[in-house]
Amino acid sequence: MANLSLKHIYKVYPNGTKAVNDFNMDIADKEFIVFVGPSGCGKSTTLRMIAGLEDISAGELTIGDVVVNDMEPKDRDIAMVFQNYALYPHMTVYENMTFGLKMRKIQDVKKDKNGDPVLDENGEPVTYMRHYTREEMHERVLAAADTLGITEYLGRKPKEMSGGQRQRVSLGRAIVREPKVMLLDEPLSNLDAKLRTQMRAEIAKLHARLNTTFIYVTHDQIEAMTMGTRIVVMKEGFVQQIDTPKNLYNYPGNKFVAGFIGTPQMNFFEGTLKKVGDNVEINFAYSDAKVVVPFAYFYKTRPSYLNGNVPVYIGLRAEDISIDEETVRASNAVVKVRVSHKEELGNETLLYGDINMEGDGYVESSTRVIIKCNEDVDYSDGDVIDAALDLEHIHLFDKETEVTIIPRVPEYNYLDCEIADGKLRFLGEELELPSAIECEDGEGELLIPTDAFILGDEGIEAKAIGVEVIADTRLLCFEIGGRRLFAIVGEEQIGDTVKVKLDMKKISVLRDGSPIVDPMPKFVRFDGKLEKVKTKGDVEIVKTKKDGSQYTVTKHKTIINFVLDIEGAKYVAPDNIALKLITTLGVSKAFEKELLFESTPYDLNLAEQGISAQLVRVADYGSERFGVYACAGKEVYVDLKEGQDAPVNAFIAPTVEKLGIIQKDMDIRII
Amino acid sequence: MEKVKRFRSKKLMEKTSNVVVYAILIIISIVWLIPFVLLLIQSFSGDQTGYSITRVFPEKWTFDNYVRLFSETKFLTWYGNTFVVSIVVMVVQTVIVLATSYAFSRMRFKMRKPLMNLMLILGMFPGFLSMTAVYFILKEMGLTQNLIGLMLVYTASSAMGYYICKGFFDTVPKSLDEAARIDGANRATVFFKIILPLAKPIIIYTILMAFTAPWGEYMFSSFLMLGDPDKFTVAVGMKEWIGREMVNSYFGVFCAAAVVVSIPIVLLFMFLQRYYVEGVTGGAVKG
Repeated sequence: MANLSLKHIYKVYPNGTKAVNDFNMDIADKEFIVFVGPSGCGKSTTLRMIAGLEDISAGELTIGDVVVNDMEPKDRDIAMVFQNYALYPHMTVYENMTFGLKMRKIQDVKKDKNGDPVLDENGEPVTYMRHYTREEMHERVLAAADTLGITEYLGRKPKEMSGGQRQRVSLGRAIVREPKVMLLDEPLSNLDAKLRTQMRAEIAKLHARLNTTFIYVTHDQIEAMTMGTRIVVMKEGFVQQIDTPKNLYNYPGNKFVAGFIGTPQMNFFEGTLKKVGDNVEINFAYSDAKVVVPFAYFYKTRPSYLNGNVPVYIGLRAEDISIDEETVRASNAVVKVRVSHKEELGNETLLYGDINMEGDGYVESSTRVIIKCNEDVDYSDGDVIDAALDLEHIHLFDKETEVTIIPRVPEYNYLDCEIADGKLRFLGEELELPSAIECEDGEGELLIPTDAFILGDEGIEAKAIGVEVIADTRLLCFEIGGRRLFAIVGEEQIGDTVKVKLDMKKISVLRDGSPIVDPMPKFVRFDGKLEKVKTKGDVEIVKTKKDGSQYTVTKHKTIINFVLDIEGAKYVAPDNIALKLITTLGVSKAFEKELLFESTPYDLNLAEQGISAQLVRVADYGSERFGVYACAGKEVYVDLKEGQDAPVNAFIAPTVEKLGIIQKDMDIRII
Repeated sequence: MEKVKRFRSKKLMEKTSNVVVYAILIIISIVWLIPFVLLLIQSFSGDQTGYSITRVFPEKWTFDNYVRLFSETKFLTWYGNTFVVSIVVMVVQTVIVLATSYAFSRMRFKMRKPLMNLMLILGMFPGFLSMTAVYFILKEMGLTQNLIGLMLVYTASSAMGYYICKGFFDTVPKSLDEAARIDGANRATVFFKIILPLAKPIIIYTILMAFTAPWGEYMFSSFLMLGDPDKFTVAVGMKEWIGREMVNSYFGVFCAAAVVVSIPIVLLFMFLQRYYVEGVTGGAVKG
């Protein structure tokens, strides 16, 4: 019964392989989280790091608000179910289940002969640690056995039981301890298909009953979809997407997730998009197929995808393609499919074909199509039939990055703009550019991040269309000059109209694909190292005598100080930072590895000492001013306080406590 | 002439080959058993023949050899010496072997692989190559003609016998350790409560090997105990009896001693045999 948080978790093996890369997640109490992905994606490694069976290379893992990185598995109050059950073969089921209880102690109130609690001098009951009594253990085992229906096997040895029964015992051994978190590592992979379905339901039931946080690892997407409250899809050590099963299915963030979730696999075609009037034409590559979609689907898409030249992946699930005659007649998105073969599954039939009339339909290609049909179909190989595409459920991905081009929460709004006379004109509006932004006049593409709109009492008046709630994000859709824009907003009430201002330090303008206005960088990175400085000095040590009185001894000792060397400037490393660096990098390596120190402009100060810098200009964004300095070969923005001057030659001092620290060669975030 | 392919019955073939195989096995076991049987018979023989046994069954049957063994010779002292040495070596060596094997099987440390290889290579050299050196070292330490010295020699290289035992530990799934660690056990508890009960067969094997090796060892002890008949082990002492001068009068006694010497090993085997065969890993994990 606890929440978990994983912050920048990495697993790096001694040979340099990164098994898990920057895993970030907050898991709420009582959630059922499923890690899913192909083998070798790092899902089990992550689970084993949570369990404490693997060291965490970098990052911070908390269970119930306690950092557990350096805790032994037994102290983390977790239980784990293994794929191969891992029952102790020389013990009976009963002994297997009590083993964990025998190892553990619980806190209890000391009682006197009459059964009343013994009080200490403050009137508090005296507590002590004791083992479970035989009766307590017996009671717990019976309760757990009853839940799982294994009461009659309690006297048996594991080898006398079937796989399903063994896995039940394994679950029983886990729940009998009432752990904070239940970890399950592919628990059903060794069972046959029927038993798997049954156990799936039982585990889901168990979760509902126990009210414990469950983390479940599987490579089976059906298990993930049916059991998880949220699913983490992983690939090659990277988290691909974290979302509810439904959202993963409906809004896959990239091609991998789209292909991994759902059976049969989603059909992927290649093609291009071209805006024609109020519609967008989707042209399929290697085929004559072409469908037309209303532009309304593409409000969140970057306009440059719609010029007819950018190759994209078009994804459609087998169930979103229909060959039902009526559907085809009513549809305006029909493509010709040449049937190659079919797989009859009883209740449904999978029809394989190709939208390329020369294609063969057996090999997975960018024209092969699988169609799920409910009714009996009697097409023979080579027939050419009409298929209707359900364009409501179309998924589009960039061909290079494989990221969706219709994101749920878009990063930017893309607009055409013109800059002239220090003014920014877009969508018929005109805004004064702050003096910080200097650029040549002319046209360009304006990128406004969705978090760059400030709602308030003044600014551009816009018509609010609606607010969409996506996980924790509220996305406001509004209209300026007939163009839909999106903004991330807070909890405020939204009326029919809103007034928006632009946060000018976040916008960027591109001309012919290259930036002419850059947003203010969110952070700057400095090179540096951790150093060890030895000094001799007198240390006062407080000692306690036997009678309780204290006295101090002064000793002449070598004192080791840890110092951060940031671009040549030295700062005393706070103990927690030094400790974290040393534990993460290793005692010998911590002082050799090159580090990157990351700071936001707000955490940089102009000081008497620090990294020397020369003023380039002062960036004045109206409400905020920043000194732009040339410093260590970079352009560094430093926040200027109200009325503060920016000296030409200055020293920049970072706020050490707020630095982000990254190990340079491996790109591992340590803090 | 055309070759006629003979009809071959598979069953007949199997039977024929079985007959041949069993015939060979029987011959081998006879060859192997003859010395034991002969030894046993000779220990009850009253003929003073020495080496030259002319008949399998003696003319005169007697217990004299056994009586002489325990009344006239120092056999009991030697027997005691050997027993003490063997028991101590057995205990120490078993502990060392199990500990080494567990460490090599379960823990990952920097020198693991090099150490394992080094031990394997060192183990390939016959032990007596170092005999002279060992003798002088022990002499400096004042441990020649001393049972403790002998125990030292026998136990010193125990860890090198890790190989078979480690192989067994490797077959015990690691997830058992992990499950136990999550259940709240520390490394020691895992070893004693989980691994050891599962490793019974290999422990038995280790115990047997650790006992029988010093029990019958001759070379080191003959070197080390030279000149002090009170510190002899049975092998050294009995070797004296079949030297040229004594063999005629002591051959029967020698045979009787050999029978007595074999008793503890036979008992040990009989007692431990059932664990030796029994595998207990079944049902631990998916099998």
